[in-house]
Amino acid sequence: MPMPDNPRPAGVFSQGRGWSFAGFFGVLAAVGLLAPSYELLAVNQHLLLCLNVLALNFCLGLGGQVCMAQGAFCGMGAYLSAMLHQYYPGGSLWIVPAAALCTAAVGAAVSRPLEQLHSGFLAMATVGVHSIFINVVLAFPQVTGGAEGMLSAVPLTLPGGVTLGGDGFYFLAFSGLLLVGAFMYAALENSRPGRALLACREDPLAASSCGINRPAIRAQAFALGAALSCLAGSLYGHYAGFISPRQFDLGLSLKTLLYLVIGGQGRLFSPLVAVVVLETLLSRLDFLGDARSLVQGLLLAAALLIGPAMRGHTPRALLRRWLGKSPPSVA
Amino acid sequence: MFSLYLAQAVTSGLALGAVYGLMALGFCLIYNASRLINFAQGELLLLSGLGILSLVQALNLHWTLGILAACLWGFVLGLFLYATTLGLTMRAHPLRQLMLTVAASLIWQGLAILVWGKQPHVLPRMAPMPDLRLGPMYFSQDTVTAMVVSLAAGGLLHLFLRHTRTGTAVRAVSMHSLAATLQGVNPIRTYAICFALSGTLAALAAMCVGPQTMLRHDMGFAVGLKGFVAATVGGYSSLGRVFLGGIFLGVLEAGLVLAFNNELKEALTFLLLIALLVVMPLGEKHAHAR
Repeated sequence: MPMPDNPRPAGVFSQGRGWSFAGFFGVLAAVGLLAPSYELLAVNQHLLLCLNVLALNFCLGLGGQVCMAQGAFCGMGAYLSAMLHQYYPGGSLWIVPAAALCTAAVGAAVSRPLEQLHSGFLAMATVGVHSIFINVVLAFPQVTGGAEGMLSAVPLTLPGGVTLGGDGFYFLAFSGLLLVGAFMYAALENSRPGRALLACREDPLAASSCGINRPAIRAQAFALGAALSCLAGSLYGHYAGFISPRQFDLGLSLKTLLYLVIGGQGRLFSPLVAVVVLETLLSRLDFLGDARSLVQGLLLAAALLIGPAMRGHTPRALLRRWLGKSPPSVA
Repeated sequence: MFSLYLAQAVTSGLALGAVYGLMALGFCLIYNASRLINFAQGELLLLSGLGILSLVQALNLHWTLGILAACLWGFVLGLFLYATTLGLTMRAHPLRQLMLTVAASLIWQGLAILVWGKQPHVLPRMAPMPDLRLGPMYFSQDTVTAMVVSLAAGGLLHLFLRHTRTGTAVRAVSMHSLAATLQGVNPIRTYAICFALSGTLAALAAMCVGPQTMLRHDMGFAVGLKGFVAATVGGYSSLGRVFLGGIFLGVLEAGLVLAFNNELKEALTFLLLIALLVVMPLGEKHAHAR
């Protein structure tokens, strides 16, 4: 059967993705409705990490570029928003988007010269970007509060003096942002720039030879990821009421990358599920005391080893494979 | 007065630079052979140092035996790191291999907290080196020890890679893994040897840095990162240049401390890393060489 010259691109909700959307956000809505207010604190922290993972997926999942500066972009959002709110307390409607635009510009400026680097070197270069951010925050305590952090006490405010706050509002805000981000990801994946990014990820040289402006398209993906992390950080800064470099240290970037690799870069929902499941599990380990760090590391390593092998298999197929009833598939 | 400050900065920079040089050599060995950037390099140093500390406290060893035991302990740790990271994921996506070294660094840090606690530990000076004064330059016992140990280790590594059969195999795999395999070299064994040698170098680096700055459970990543910066400065191609990259970084950091505070010094160091990576895109070169 001859293939059409211009096959119609798959829709955002095609190939079962609509069910994934409905399932994930349905469960999230149920949690929001049923969980008591004090539980929403932990849920909101998981959602912050989910947003960072989704943001990194724009760079790594679509563009194939490793970024370990996601925590820095998140921190930039928190600090920019907190500092600007001190001078313009009622300006949330322009401050938050302006912070996102600034961070997107920084992300694109970082990506462009580093685009040619191989994944390991790009990871290290972005670790450098993150370290620069943390050290700049520490170096100017009169502006940022330095190592002791700063209060982010001014709440988000709408025109007319309506202040926004509380666990419930921030749960809605994080969930809404996650929904918009996930929709953008799915839409981008099925668009012309998305296919160009996927081509860059699969074979950068071939993509260039097909006329794709690799640095430009990858810078756009980087900028999108940085902006999403920045928005998440802005919200989190106002939610927590206090920000310090420790909240946005390298651990946040490392965790973001770890969860994305565990869930599978380029997949939309499995990294988010990995965040929720593993973070919930890890948060229950406080009783271990000094052994907590070791067990956390072991759990993450096990997830790294087992997760990718399990990906793409239904529970039934996994059971059949385990029982030896079908030949092992090529991972 | 400024020249005196500068001379002092250079001598203290040499002590730290020697440690960075050893770490950079370890990075370089693993990267050149397997194209893997080892995020757990700093934790190799940490666990090596803490292991040596326990060994020295338990057995009260003579310093020569102490150094030999440290080398052996580092070698075993390196092999163990290989077996639990690259050895497990030989055919996996490079990003998964990379992230497994990140997970290994978390595990090793957790192990350090569990066994040795969160308080810093001072590693006793093992090699009986004297203080040295050359004109305005005063070299403390720690600086002399770090320089002698690192130069001896670098020299021995050079001899090993140049004049032994295994060393030749390591160089062959570093140049072209497939061609080396066709010539009968076992690349898997070579990777393991590179990890083990890297562990030995990290143990020696721990011996140098332990008495200077103490060993803390959270120091690994920072030292490892500096080792990576030093290896990048050195260009990953020759042992001498990589080691000199470490010395350069140590002296540069000590010099920057004279003009800036610690945070700006760190920021400028990482800015140097990014500038170097942009100017000399090593990853691209190696990706094509594969």
